[in-house]
This record gives sequence, C-alpha cells and structure tokens, in this order.
Amino acid sequence: MQFAQIRDRVETDAGTTGPIDVGALSGMWINSNPDTNAIARIVISESERDLSLQVYAIGPERLIDWGSTRADVFTFTPSSRVAAGFTCVFDFGFAETRLEGMLAKGLLVLAQFHAFKDKSGRADYFVREYFALDHGRY
Amino acid sequence: MTHTFEFKQKSHLQPELLEAAWKTLNAGKLTGRWLNTDPETRGLAELVITQKGEEFSVGAVGAGSGGPIDWPITKAKALANLEEEAGQRAVALAVTFDFGYMKAEGHIRVNKGVLVIVMFHTFSDDSGRSNYVNREFFYRGC
Repeated sequence: MQFAQIRDRVETDAGTTGPIDVGALSGMWINSNPDTNAIARIVISESERDLSLQVYAIGPERLIDWGSTRADVFTFTPSSRVAAGFTCVFDFGFAETRLEGMLAKGLLVLAQFHAFKDKSGRADYFVREYFALDHGRY
Repeated sequence: MTHTFEFKQKSHLQPELLEAAWKTLNAGKLTGRWLNTDPETRGLAELVITQKGEEFSVGAVGAGSGGPIDWPITKAKALANLEEEAGQRAVALAVTFDFGYMKAEGHIRVNKGVLVIVMFHTFSDDSGRSNYVNREFFYRGC
C-alpha cells in the first residue's frame, strides 16, 4: 500500500468497504452569521448513494438559488465509513465556486473558493463560514 | 463609466475584489517554515511556503514509518481572503498535491499567527481506503 504520510497506511477488509453513512451531513444547514454576504443556507440530501447540495445565497434583494450539484464525500480517516465532509463545484459561467465542507463540533465549516472567469478584474477569493443544522427540536 | 458585474451572491460584488493589493495581501504572514503543533502527528509534520511575486509554492513533509517523507513542491493559488477582520486579513492558498494513487486538495490560511491546513484526500488506487478530510495546525518554525 502506497502512502505519503503514516496516517494513510491502514488495514482495509470487506468489513470496511461498505457504503459510507452520510447521515451526519444530510439536512438543512443555516449560516450562523445573519449578516453574511455569501451563502445563507444549504440543503444536503442523499439520493441513490450520491450526495447532492442545493445552495441558497444572499442576493441584493432576495435569496439566490444556485440549484443543486453532486458532491464528493469524505470521512475523517482512511478506514472510516462515516461521512465527515464534502467537496463540490458550481460553475456559473462567469465564475466557478468550489465548496469544501467539514464537520466540526456539530457545525459545518464551509470554505468557499470563488474564481472569476470573466474579464471583470475581480480577484479570486476565499470565504469560510459556519453553519448549524436546522434540527427543528426547539 | 459604469460596469455591471454578474453575481451569484452579494460578496461577488465586494469592491475590495477590484483592488490589486488584495491578491497578495499580507502574504508574509504565510511564507516561511511551519511545524505541526502535534509532535506525534501521523500526517504532515512540516510545511514550507515560498512566494515569488504573485506565485506561491508549498512544500510538505509527511510523517513516515522510517523517517520523514518529502512531498513534491507544488504551486499554490493565492486567494483574497474576505473572512478575517481587517487587521488579520492575509491571502489564503489553495493547493493540490498529486501522487498519482492519491490526490490531496485543500486550503491554507493563517489565523492569529497559527497556520491551518485543511486537506481532502482522494484515493484512486484499489486499496479500499476511504477518501478523507483532515485539519492540522502549525506554528512558525525557525
């Protein structure tokens, strides 16, 4: 088994190669910052072993629905089968946004990478924000 | 002259994005040699970040079983960072290390003097390993 850091040298067998449990990621995630200029909420759902994300972002007047896209799922270790993060890309034509999400202490920590493809002269930029799962219990 | 920019969220219209200085803002806060705060790490033990103009490169050393493992020096993409408070702002870096059998993609940023790297590891061999995400913290070395 090849590895570039000792963490990646793990034992794998039939018991560890089943489907990944994405339950911890599924649901509606709300931005903890009510004054954000970026993403307001994310709806994560599982469909046929795929994870899909629908994003609603803050617009000048109302929320902007980015639509949904498929996400790649990540665990916390190479031997785990429990989802702990995701990556996905939204291509808007004039710009491309990559999202990298990671669970931490019950929060979803979301990094956004915005790369502009138009000639607007805008700098590519990074934003990181926190999202809480809308659990509907209180 | 008035420009109309396309957008998908309000921050796409943030005026600072048109300021050239933002592309390398406070880059000195990232460059240099960084050591993992965890001496027992099983991941990355060390990072070296260099800058030449607007270009950044990242070298890494993985913790190995018989000694350190040098990762290939890789170019990183600098991104203006809208996240931190004004005085704390420094560019963030997006970086991808490609080993053929495994790709590690992620970002590097500095928060109050601590360097944070978040890496998403994707395996393309048939080892049965899960793709995984990991976050590690580094302090500035000599």
